[in-house]
Order: sequence, then structure tokens, then C-alpha cells
Amino acid sequence: MKRILGLWINGRWREEAVAENALLLDYLRDGLGLTGTKQGCDGGECGACTVLIDDQPRLACSTLAHSVAGRRVETVEGLATEGNISRLQRAFHEKLGTQCGFCTPGMLMAAEGLLRKNPHPGRDEIRSALAGNLCRCTGYVKIIESVEVAAGVPA
Amino acid sequence: MNAPEPQVKEIASSSEPHGVGARRPFVDGIEKVTGTARYTADLPAGNALVGMLLRSPYAHAELLEVDISEALALPGVRAVITGDECDMPYGVIPIAQNEFPLARGKVRYIGDPIAAVAAVDEATARLAISRIRLRVRELPAYFKSPDARQADAVLLHEKKQGNIEREVHNEFGDVAAGFAAADLVREDTYECAEVHHAMMEPNAALAAWDTERGHLTLWSVTQVPYYVHLTLARCMKMEAAHIRVIKPFSGGGFGHRTECLNFEVVCGMLARAARGTVRLLQTREETFLAHRGRPESQIRIKLGLKRDGSITACQAEVVQRGGAYGGYGLVTILYAGALINGLYDIPAVKYDGYRVYTNTPACGAMRGHGTVNIRFAFESLLDAMANELGIDQIAARRRNLLVAPAETINGLRVTSYGLGECIDWVEGASGWAARKGKLGRSGNVSKGLGMACSHFVSGSAKPVHWSGEPHAVIVLKLDFDAAVTILTGASDIGQGSSTVVTQIVAEVLGIDYHRIRVIANDSAVTPKDNGSYSSRVTYMVGNAAADAAENLKRLLVTAAARRLQVEESEVIWYGEAAAVASDPDRHIPFADIAEEALVGTGTLNVKGTFTCPPEFQGGKQRGGAVGSSMGFSYVAQAAEVSVDMDLGIVTVDKIWAAIDCGRAINPMSVEGQVQGAVWMGLGQTLCEETVYENGRHMAANMLDYRVPTIIESPDIEVHIVESMDPNGPFGAKEASEGPLSGIMSAVAAAVEDATGLRVRTLPISPPRVFAAMQEARNEAAAAAAEAINKEQAR
Amino acid sequence: MSMPDFQLLRPTTAADAVAMRAANAASRYVAGGTDLLPNIRRGLVEASVIIDLGNIAELTHIEFGSDALHIGAGTRLATIAGDAAIRSRFAALAQAAEAVAGPTHRAAATLGGNLCLDTRCVYYNQSEFWRESNDYCMKLKGEGCRVAKKSKRCYAAFSGDVAPALIALDAEIEILGPNGSRRIAIADFYRDDGMAWLTLAPDELLTGVHIPLCDGWTTAYEKVRVRGAIDFPLAGIAVALKRKGDTLEELRIACTGVSSRPLAVEGLDELKGKPLDAAALAIIVAQTEIAAGAMRTTLVEVLYRRGVAPVLARRITERLWNAAA
Repeated sequence: MKRILGLWINGRWREEAVAENALLLDYLRDGLGLTGTKQGCDGGECGACTVLIDDQPRLACSTLAHSVAGRRVETVEGLATEGNISRLQRAFHEKLGTQCGFCTPGMLMAAEGLLRKNPHPGRDEIRSALAGNLCRCTGYVKIIESVEVAAGVPA
Repeated sequence: MNAPEPQVKEIASSSEPHGVGARRPFVDGIEKVTGTARYTADLPAGNALVGMLLRSPYAHAELLEVDISEALALPGVRAVITGDECDMPYGVIPIAQNEFPLARGKVRYIGDPIAAVAAVDEATARLAISRIRLRVRELPAYFKSPDARQADAVLLHEKKQGNIEREVHNEFGDVAAGFAAADLVREDTYECAEVHHAMMEPNAALAAWDTERGHLTLWSVTQVPYYVHLTLARCMKMEAAHIRVIKPFSGGGFGHRTECLNFEVVCGMLARAARGTVRLLQTREETFLAHRGRPESQIRIKLGLKRDGSITACQAEVVQRGGAYGGYGLVTILYAGALINGLYDIPAVKYDGYRVYTNTPACGAMRGHGTVNIRFAFESLLDAMANELGIDQIAARRRNLLVAPAETINGLRVTSYGLGECIDWVEGASGWAARKGKLGRSGNVSKGLGMACSHFVSGSAKPVHWSGEPHAVIVLKLDFDAAVTILTGASDIGQGSSTVVTQIVAEVLGIDYHRIRVIANDSAVTPKDNGSYSSRVTYMVGNAAADAAENLKRLLVTAAARRLQVEESEVIWYGEAAAVASDPDRHIPFADIAEEALVGTGTLNVKGTFTCPPEFQGGKQRGGAVGSSMGFSYVAQAAEVSVDMDLGIVTVDKIWAAIDCGRAINPMSVEGQVQGAVWMGLGQTLCEETVYENGRHMAANMLDYRVPTIIESPDIEVHIVESMDPNGPFGAKEASEGPLSGIMSAVAAAVEDATGLRVRTLPISPPRVFAAMQEARNEAAAAAAEAINKEQAR
Repeated sequence: MSMPDFQLLRPTTAADAVAMRAANAASRYVAGGTDLLPNIRRGLVEASVIIDLGNIAELTHIEFGSDALHIGAGTRLATIAGDAAIRSRFAALAQAAEAVAGPTHRAAATLGGNLCLDTRCVYYNQSEFWRESNDYCMKLKGEGCRVAKKSKRCYAAFSGDVAPALIALDAEIEILGPNGSRRIAIADFYRDDGMAWLTLAPDELLTGVHIPLCDGWTTAYEKVRVRGAIDFPLAGIAVALKRKGDTLEELRIACTGVSSRPLAVEGLDELKGKPLDAAALAIIVAQTEIAAGAMRTTLVEVLYRRGVAPVLARRITERLWNAAA
């Protein structure tokens, strides 16, 4: 059954009828066409669907859309401002924190959540914050370097 | 032209590399970091029907009846197809095609697709799948190689006695004489669990059927759009000209997608049957069931060594549990034998390989194809024997280096060889001399250091579909906009192949990157390419790109000379401009050159090709083409580990990896490839394995199939050795598979350094180390007790 | 894989939640959703009504009372793990909360959810296709146990990290039902049955925990897992210890992941008033071995899980003992 859901998506208020059983992931991808958020597993195991909810990284595949009613949801599509990619996005791009790119949106959102809370994280803090996000290409080395560069650690 | 004339740029005089050698971000990186990159599952599919597969719950059974009548009768079901839809077997190796998109007559593993449904929504599709009735006669099933090989075993495939898909027996050099001449001969057995690619993107396909024209368009996650195209034509009995295959962004492959997979053909067949568009998304579990990973392997290996460590002979027997279908199997079993050679100087090698059919998902190509497990065994035994001879493990390897150019006993040509320098760097960086055997124990944690070497081909010198065409073709389009468009069929699956060809074109032409764009992987637009496998793209497609760029440059220089009204020899080529040698102030911008080049001919489509000469295509023995390549990468790796002596948990603290990849076209990308390969090897070393119980995949998810997390993943320091291959593009070779296969043994050696225990079975998981340490403690206790008894008896 | 249909209710008080549950037989509570929602997708849970507890403010408190710490069941694990006072005064609890899965899970998962976590088994946590092809099992839709063929009971393992910490901390559970609330010792919250591992009645709601202040104690939680994150515990051990000079005044050890309920290691009373010497450690090892009777519910070998639990118990106890000196 559908019910009106109102929430902030990437800074814009959205209000529309959404099925009560809809996962946030399906609402974003199928309902809004925001396909940057990925589905990489059969539920809660890979982190590819990580988005920010009120600044906190959360798994969109394990969240009901209606359970975040009224809250601020941010996806990878919302990271750039006025067409400019963020410092974190630039670092992932320029330091090759992304290879195939499939884990990248989730990785970016988890890292973004970290940097908002802790602008100058150490290596262990970066590792802890990204521990729920699997990557199969990079061995994580350049992902860590990318986050460090975004946080202003000299490369 | 419409833009202001740019400044003449003397790129050639800049000290920073512009094209080749530049640490360029990926050409498609912006799309990836902004979320605008569309992968197959992201493509607009509002109008698409939902496809779904019925998979076999039986490991081995005769299919007596597949009754789809009830499913077809459901409202909202648009098509239900079975094995009747396709009677053409397929398989990536033309002489070993024994798989059907949907099972016919028999199912051979739990998960074998039997039927497929296209319906208006997922719930309807699911309901329809549940309404398909099966009648079967179950057959004995075999999940381990020895069981399948029993004399009375029921055959999975006709005429494959003993369920052997392929046996390989060959001997090069005089092995008996080699062992006779050795001062030390040892033999040991090694076992490696089956592993899976687990690329982050689950499988997916989207197929649009054009009923009016009888045309099919398929979008898929594949690494080999051309093979998918051929297979669609074969299985759907269509003209290849009526098919279009497009690969959008792809979320990794690692070999999983180097052959056409059943879901791709099924998606096409469903679209035709439903006369519309069908999207077939695969769950993570289904992606695991498509498997094609590295086979469970039993390896018996024997080496002969002189007292100084030089190898006199090697004898190996490899048994691979191949799974239910041929796939790449015969190539895998051939690779395992062929690439015993090419890393060290070995005068005699005997190899016996057995690829076995079993009732498990088919294995296939996985990063380091065929070479990884045998390398683990070889390097491990070499270490053990060096220890026995009292030779340092690095010294033992140095003793056996090749000297390029060389031809191995099985006909592999080694034209560039930087392994010695790789070893030197790893030795220094890891502090080998001062630290090996001396890291000691503190509390519960014991530390150790180990190393190993490995190598891999830069593209198979003989493609599996031998058509007489060049190995690679690139087209460059220059048009009125003065943009250079690279048209390539090479699949960028995240390894950065589009970036590599762009850098090569930029290097040759000297033009700015903003002028170059890449269009890849649309069979209606881009030239055919065999695909992204066997690390062929940088070498082969890179060479074709350089050739194409040279061909275009010639036309441009001619045009510039015409416009400047000088002889071609008078033209100085700056890339973004051309000038007159005797009068450098007379120059014209690229746009003018392009305009001139198009006069009288219009749009330029300039081709470049690359062909491997026959002398590089391997020895004359049967299967000799496998393993042949024009260039081999070489790698030395050192690992430092900590072992929790109570819990058996091995933590890799640091990896040093030096790679000879020839000229690094993009050093940053090389680092990324090496780190990724080393790390993927670490997964196989420490924690990854598929597990089957009665043929049922027990770990078909990302929780039980343990891809390492960022927490336990170490820093991986990479050093690049540029041996400058004489035939590679600008001297380049491969960089992304060779670094994987040495890691298992390097870590095993480090664990031995830390604990005194040598693990010969992969993965070196906590339960395995725990059990080994307990056994060692029990043995020590028993020995001590016996000593006391003896003492008392005296 | 989309979700099956259900109606979603979002109560704002615990009492409303309990009333909704009572009014809908086929309803289930969801808190963080990290366990339940993937399980619904896999067909492990069928419910026509889902009651989302995420809007109930009264369940999210952390309050230090005069004799106990009170934590609402809706408190996120990340909040607990990051709370400075809990980290310093109830280290085992903070460490256990921090050991759960990954950071994205902990940001959503709640204390109550982790305490009520469904038991896990490699024959159960699989897709519908998988379970159907294996004729299901007694825990859902089928008969018999796949772990122990002749067993009449289900051996699915409780795999929450927080419960053993709360057992070692001697916590009490607050439960709200149609007839008001009740308090029980956390150990009594669980049963040794993989199918019915909670003593919670269908119409009851876990609302919070009460943990007696334990100044003077040292406590810790550690788990063994293959990967450094995401994995459930193969064996998890919580220890709470009070040292007085050279003698052990109090010692409580609890384990998780090794049976269908989290449980206290028994037979440790005799160690009280004595030094923690080799003999005492041997008793700890032997008693933990008895408690850690893991069955083949994971792909990791039983012998390993049974073997490492005592090692952890010994190591943590020794470490806390030395730290308390």
C-alpha cells in the first residue's frame, strides 16, 4: 500500500506516494532514478548502497523509505555543489580511489560521513569508518590515500 | 574555426610526461565519483519486463519433463522458455562447447538454469517460477575430483571417460636426468580451495527485441562483448548482423565475465519470446552460482636442486575440479603446466594435468588464470628445499634467473626480464637481510617475513577464436570538430583500459586530452575486440592504438605541410600545432590542420592494428599456444605477517611488491593494479573459499564468502621496474595478474618464519593455523614425553 | 529482490507499539532493520504488519541513576559505542557494541535489536531457493535439523555481541507487555533453543536494560572472527572482574556465538578470594570449554569455535587482572 512520504533528498524536499514496504534503496533507484546508489549484495553485506541520513552513513538496502520520513537523505548525486565536485570526489578521482567504480558511491558516502564528523581522521579512523564497505579492485590502499588527501593530509 | 587560436604548446619539451608515463586520472573517473556512471542495472528500464530464472535444485539429474503450462497461464506472464528454446551448445572454447543457456536433457549442478520467465513485475515472475513443475530422475553426483574420477562414476558428459575433461601430459628436457643430477630432490603435495571473483557488481543484462526487424540489442556486464555477440548469434540462430551488443560501465570482472554466461543468452531469448524488452538482474547468490572462478586444485610437485640452489628439474601433477561444464577449463589446465616455465631457468619439466567434471558450478578464468595455485606449490617447495640446503630464499631465486632474450623449453619467448631488479628492491625495502628470521615474538604475537616471485602473460598470443584477423584493431575518428574520437572494442571493466589507450594516442599525437574522447564497446559503432582477458589490452590494443595514432599523425603532418606550403620534412609537429622548421613563427593550430586534413575526403577514420607474429604463438606441442605471449610481467613480493599464536589468526602487516611491467603507461594505474592483484591474492591466501555441501553452495553471499575488509587489509607498497619490452607499446607489458600469484607462498613463508609451521593448504585461515599449531604442540608434547620415558627406561 | 507486501505502522510510544502488536497477530517489530529487513527479503520472516520502533523517543535514553545505568532499547549501537561514560565505566558494553558488524550497521542497529537478534545457522540464513532445494529445516517451514541429523531441537546459534557483555555486567531487562512492565535478569531473557531463543512473549516489547554501576570492576568484550569487520562472532567472550589486592573478588564470564543463547560460564565461584594463578586460569579454560559447545552452524569448523572461546576467556581475564593491579 502506498502512503505519502516527505523527506529531503540531496537538499530538495520530496513528497510523493511511496509503497509502505519500499526499501530506501529501491525508492532512490527505481522511484527517483538516483541509480548512483548501488546494490551489490542480497542485503546488508557489502556497503555499496551507503547513503547519508542526517549526516550518518547508513545502508539504504536495510532501511525502509518511510522510516526516514522528514529526514535528510544524501546520495552520491548530491555531493557536487553547483556543478563542482567535492574535495572528496576529486581526491577519489585524482588519486585513483576508484577503479571499476561500483563500490565508489557507497565508499564516498561513508567517507563523507566520517569527514563531517572528524575532518582530520587518522588512518585507523579511516579504516574503521569504511569497514562496512567492500571494494574488490583497489585493495583499499588508494581509497585510504584518497580520503587522506581530501582531509588535507599531504600525499 | 570557431575557437580562438590556442597558444603553441611545446609539450615535447615539458619535463612532465604528457601521454605515456603520466599519472593520469581515469578518463571515466568523473562519472564514477559523481554517480552518473550507468552500469547495466542502472539503465532506464521502465518499460522492461522482469526476467527470472528457474534453477535446478538437483546436483545431477535427468530432466524428464519441464511443465510450464501453469506458469504460462498466469496473468502478466509474457514468456516462459525452457531448454527447448535453444539446441545449440555454447562455450568459449570452440572445441569444448557443452553448455546450453537452459538445460536440455540433464542438469549438472545445483543452480543450473532450467527455465526462464518474463513477466510484468517481479512478484508475477516469482510466482510463475514457482508454478513450473519438474519431473526428473536423479543421478549419482560428484563434488570432489577423486569421486568423479572413479571407474564406475556416471559420466556428466558423454564420451568423457572418467569425467576427465582434458588430460595434459608433456615433458620438456630430460626430467630423469635432471633429478639424477640434483643434490636434493623433494616432493610435496599442496591443496588450494576454490575461489570466486566476487566483483562488486552482481550480474545483469538488458535485452531489447525489435519484432519488426527481428533485431536484438543486449546490454551486459561482460568483459567480452564480442564473444557474447557470437554466442547470441549461435544460440539464437540469428545473423550476427542483426545483433548489437553494448557494454555500459562494468563493475569489475576479474575473469568471471570473460566468456558468455548463461544469463546473457537467456535474457536475449526471453526478449525475443516476449517480443519486447527484458531486464534480467541476478542476485548475489546467482552471481556466485555462475561461478567461473579458480578451481579447487590438488598439486603434487617435485623439484631437483643443486647444492647451490639451481633447479635441475621439475615434475608436477595438477588435478583441477572443473565443475559441470567446459568453459575455459582446458585452457586453465594447460596454463598450469605451461607457466611452470618462463619465470626461472628450468632445464626440464614434466607435467601431468587433469581437468575433472564435477557437479558443481563451472570454473573458468580468474585473475592469474591457471598459474596461481601451481605457483603457490612451486614457490613453497622451493622455499622448503632452500631451507634444507641452508640457502637464503632470495638467493635461491637469484640462482635461477633467466637471461633475456630467452626461449623456454616449452617454446615461450622471454624478450624482457626485470625479475632480478624486482628481487633487489623487495630485498632492500623489506629489510630482508636484517629482519628475516629475526622479527621474534612478543606476547601472543609472533612475526615473520617471507617472499616469492611470479609472472604472467601480456595477452595470449593465439586467440581462442582464430579468424585470421589482427589481434587488435583501433579506429580513430577525426572530424570537423577537430576532436579525436577513439573507437575501441576493448572492455574497460575498471582496470583503466580506456585511459591507457587515450594516453597512448595523446602521446603519439601530442595533443591535449580535452580533444580526445573514447567510445567503447558498442558493436554497432566500435571495432571488434576479443575482450579484456589474459591481460591483453595494454599490450595488444595499446599497440593497435599507437599504430592508429601514427597513421593519423602521418595524415595530419601531410595536411599541415600542405597548409603551411612546405615539405613534410619541414614540419615540426607540436601536437596542438605545427610549425615550419626553418621559420618557427609560422605555425598553425590543430584545428586548422584538421580542417586541411578533411579537405576532399571528409571525416577521417584511421585504423591501427596489432598482430602477434607466429613465432610468439608457442611451442608445437598440442595446446602449446596456451601460455604463449609476446611479453611476460615479472613480480617479486615480500610479506610481513603477525600470527596470533593462541588464536591462529594471521594478520598481514605489510606487502612490498615490485613489478616489471615494462614501460608503465600510467604509473598510478599500475600501482592500483598491483595493489588490487596482491590484495585479491591475499583474500585467497587468508580467508576466501567457496564451500559446497552435496553440491549446494554454502557461501553464496558476501558474508560467508569472505572478501577481506579494509580493516585487515595491509599497506601495499609498489615499486615499478621498467624493463622496456621490445615489442610492447612504448615498452609496456601487463601489470595486473602477475602480482597475484606469488602472494600465497610469500605469506606462507612469512607464517613459517613466524611460527615454524609451513601451511600447504589454502586458505591459511584461522582454523587451519589453529589446528596446525595444536598438532605441533601435541607432537612436541609427545616427543617430550617419549624423551622422558626413554630417560626413565635408562 | 523486492520486499513482500506489508503494512507499516510507526507508533510514537512504547505503549502504542505494544497495543499494535497485540492487535495484529502477524506483525513484527523492526528497530534498526539491519537484521530483520534482509531476513524479510530472504523470506525468513513473514509479516503482514511491520511496526517500526524508530519513532519512539522514550526508548532512546542513556541515563546514569544512583545505582544503575539505564539504556533504552532503541538506543543505536553507535551511540553506545561512542558514549564516553559508557566507554570508561562499562568498557565491555562499549566494546561489544563497537564489535557489531560494520559502522553503517551500528549507525542503524539498536541495543534492543541486537539483544533480540535472530539466531543464525548456515542452513537457515540462505535464500528461499537454497532452503527449498535443501528441504528447509525445522527452524522454518521444514522438519529436522540439518546441523545434527537426529536432533529434535534447533541448534541455530545466537550471535549478538552485546548480550554476553550485559550478562557479565549482571544487567536486567525491562519488558513491556499489555499488562504493564516487568524486569528480569538478562540470563532469563534467553532460552537454549534456536527456534525460540527469547522468553519474550509475542505481545511483549523489550524497552530497556538496567546495568548496575560497577565502579571498581574492570570489564572487556572480544570476539573471534575471520575478518576485522562485518562478521558475526565465531565466539565472543565478555569478562567482568573485580580484583582486591592479590585476590579475585568477583569474576563473571559470558559467551556468545557458541550456542543458541548467550550464557554465563558456570563454576567460577570457587575462584573468588584466590589469586589468579595458573590453576585458576586452568579452571577458567575448562569451564569455558563446557559452556562453548558450538555446533556446526557456521562454515568455520566447530573445533575452532570451541577451541578459541576458552583461549579468549583466559586471555581477557589475565589482561583485566593485570590491568586492575
